[in-house]
Amino acid sequence: MKLLTKSTFYFLLLSLVAMVAGGALLYFTIKKVIYRQIDESLITEKTIIEDQLKQTDTIPDFEANFGHQIEVKLLSYQVRNYQSIKDTDIYDPDSDSFIPYRYIYSKGNNVEKKGFIITIYQTLSEKNELLQDISLYMFFLFFSLLLISILINYLIARKLWKPFYDSVRIAGKFDIQGDKPLDLPETDIVEFNQLNVVFDNMTRKMRDDYLNLKEFSENASHEIQTPLAVIRSKADLLMQQKNLNKDSLNLVKSINEATNKLLKLNQGLLLISKIENQVFHEKKKVSLKRIAESGLNNYKEIMQLKKIKVEIDSTDEAMVEMNEVLADVLISNLLSNAVRFNVDGGFIKCHIDDTFLSITNSGFPMTTNPEDLFKRFHKYSEHSQSVGLGLSIVKKISESYGMSVSYTCSDSIHKIVLKYRQHVSYMG
Amino acid sequence: MKLLIVEDDRSLSRSIYDYLKLEGHICEVALTLSDAKSKAAINKYDCIILDIGLPDGNGLDLIQEMKSNRLTGGILILSAKSSLDDKLVGLKIGADDYLTKPFHFAELSARISSIHRRNNFLGMNEIVFNEIKINTDDNQVHVNDKLLVLTKKEYDLLLFFMANRNRIITKESIVEHLWGDSVILTDSFDFVYTHVKNLRKKIVAAEGRNYIKCIYGFGYKFIDS
Repeated sequence: MKLLTKSTFYFLLLSLVAMVAGGALLYFTIKKVIYRQIDESLITEKTIIEDQLKQTDTIPDFEANFGHQIEVKLLSYQVRNYQSIKDTDIYDPDSDSFIPYRYIYSKGNNVEKKGFIITIYQTLSEKNELLQDISLYMFFLFFSLLLISILINYLIARKLWKPFYDSVRIAGKFDIQGDKPLDLPETDIVEFNQLNVVFDNMTRKMRDDYLNLKEFSENASHEIQTPLAVIRSKADLLMQQKNLNKDSLNLVKSINEATNKLLKLNQGLLLISKIENQVFHEKKKVSLKRIAESGLNNYKEIMQLKKIKVEIDSTDEAMVEMNEVLADVLISNLLSNAVRFNVDGGFIKCHIDDTFLSITNSGFPMTTNPEDLFKRFHKYSEHSQSVGLGLSIVKKISESYGMSVSYTCSDSIHKIVLKYRQHVSYMG
Repeated sequence: MKLLIVEDDRSLSRSIYDYLKLEGHICEVALTLSDAKSKAAINKYDCIILDIGLPDGNGLDLIQEMKSNRLTGGILILSAKSSLDDKLVGLKIGADDYLTKPFHFAELSARISSIHRRNNFLGMNEIVFNEIKINTDDNQVHVNDKLLVLTKKEYDLLLFFMANRNRIITKESIVEHLWGDSVILTDSFDFVYTHVKNLRKKIVAAEGRNYIKCIYGFGYKFIDS
C-alpha cells in the first residue's frame, strides 16, 4: 500500500472513531439537557396544580394553558407523598402509532388529609425531532470536516513526500556503469536530506569500488600482456634451438600451450573490459549478412572437412549501426561455436531477416542450462581447450548495442538467436 | 635484410632481435623514440619494427618524421593496443602493416617478408625455392614449371612456410595466420593437419620434394634439404 493511502486510511479510521465517540457524547448531552428541561417544566406544572389543589380542592382546567395532558384524581383517603418521572409510549388512534411521552406521576394530600394523584404527560415527539435535526446537522458538519481534513492531509502529505519520491525515481535510474554518480536533489526536509546524503555516499562508494575494480582488471590484463608476450617469444626461440632432445622439446611444448591459453584468456578479458569502457565507440552501418557470409567462407575448408552442410536463408541485409570490429567478433564467435561443437556430417543453418539472426546447428546433447554458457569461464565440457569466454563476449557486445541473445538446445539441435531490432508490425 | 627493432621492453626486443638474427637478418635495436629517430636518420633500413607505446613518445611520430624526410623503408607497427584507431591512423600515415602484441614470431617473419616483397620493385614478386616458384602478383605457384592449383588457405600456408623456412612453426600460429585471431579456435588443430597434408600431397604430386616435416605435438618445419 502506498504511504499516502495508508496514512489517509489511518487518519480516516481514527477520525471516524473520534467522531462517532464525540457525536455520541454530544447526542447524549443534548438529550440530557432536553430531558432536564422537560422534567423541570413538568415539575413546575405539577407544583402549580398541587398548590391549587391544596387550597381550592377543585380540579383546575390546565389543559388549555399548557397544551399537556393532565390527569387529576381526587381520592377520599390519605396517601403517602410520592413523585416519579418516567418515559412511556401511548397509542395514538389518529396516526395509528405509539407516541413517546414523558410523564410525571405524583401523589399528595390536601389540608383535609385527602389524597390526590396528578399525572402530567408531555409528548416527546417534538423534542425528538429537534434532537434528530441537531444530529443530522452535526453529522453533516462532522462529515464535511472529515472530508476537508482528509483532502488537506492528502495534499500536505503529497507535498511533503515529493522530495522522497523524486529521490526514489532518480535512484531507480542509477546505473553503476553509467558515467554519472548519483546526485540527489537537496530538499528543505532534514530527514530526507539525511537519507539522500546516505544514498549519495553509498552509491559513490559503490561506484568508486566498481571503477577501481574495472580499472584494476583492465590494467592487470594490459600489464600481463607484455610479460606473456616475452614468455611466448622466449619459448618460440627455445624451440628453434637445434640441439634439443625430446624431453626438452616436450617441456617447451607444455610451456607454449599454457602460454597460449593464458594469452587467449587475457585477450578475451581485455576485450570484455574494453567493450565495457566503450573503447570501440566508432560506429558505422554494417551488414550482418555480409559479415556472416564472409565468416562462413572463412570456415569453408573446415566445414568441408567435417562434412557439415551449410544453409543460409536471408531476406534482409541486416544493417545495424555498430562498431565494425565488434560486429566481426560477434558473428565470428557465433559461427566458430557452431563449427567447433558440431558433429561430423552435421549441419549449420543461418537465418537472417530484418529483426533477428539465428544460427541453428547440430551437435551433442547438452547437460547444462544453455543460458549458463553466457557466464564467464563456463565451459561446454571439462576437456575442452576453450577458455570459456566466447559467449560472454557475445553477450557483452550484444548488450552494449541493445541487442538480445538467447541460446536454446533441444536434444542435439542448438539454436542461438540474436535479436537486433524489435519487431515492427505494419498496419494494413 | 637490415632491420630496426624499436621496442622499449628489453626482454621482448632481445627476443625479436635473436629470432630475426636467426633468420639471417641484420638487426639493430632502439629502446627509445629519440634513439630510433637518430638511427633511422643515419641508416637505411629495409624494415622498421615499431612499437607505438614508447617511454618518450608515440611511435607514430617516427613514421611522420620519416615520411616528411622522404626516408624509405617498410614500417611494421607493433602494439599492445588492438584499438582500431591506432591501426587506422598508423596505416594512413604510411605504415605498411600492423601486428598486435603478443604475436607469433612466425607471423612476424611472414609480415616482414611480405612488406619487403611489396616495397621492392626489382622483380621481387617471385619467390623461388628449389623447384617451387611462387608469383605473388597473380598468386600462382609452379612446381617444376607445372602449375599447382591451390586453395586460398593452402596458398597462404605455403607463403607462411616460405617466410619461416627451417623454423618450427606451431599449429597455433598457423591457425591464427589462416583464420585470424579474433576467433578462438584452439581445439581445431586437426584442420591444420588436413591443410598441411593436402598442400604436401599437391607438391609431391607435381614431383616436388617433401619439404614439410611434422614435429610431433608442436607443428611443422619447412626444411630445405
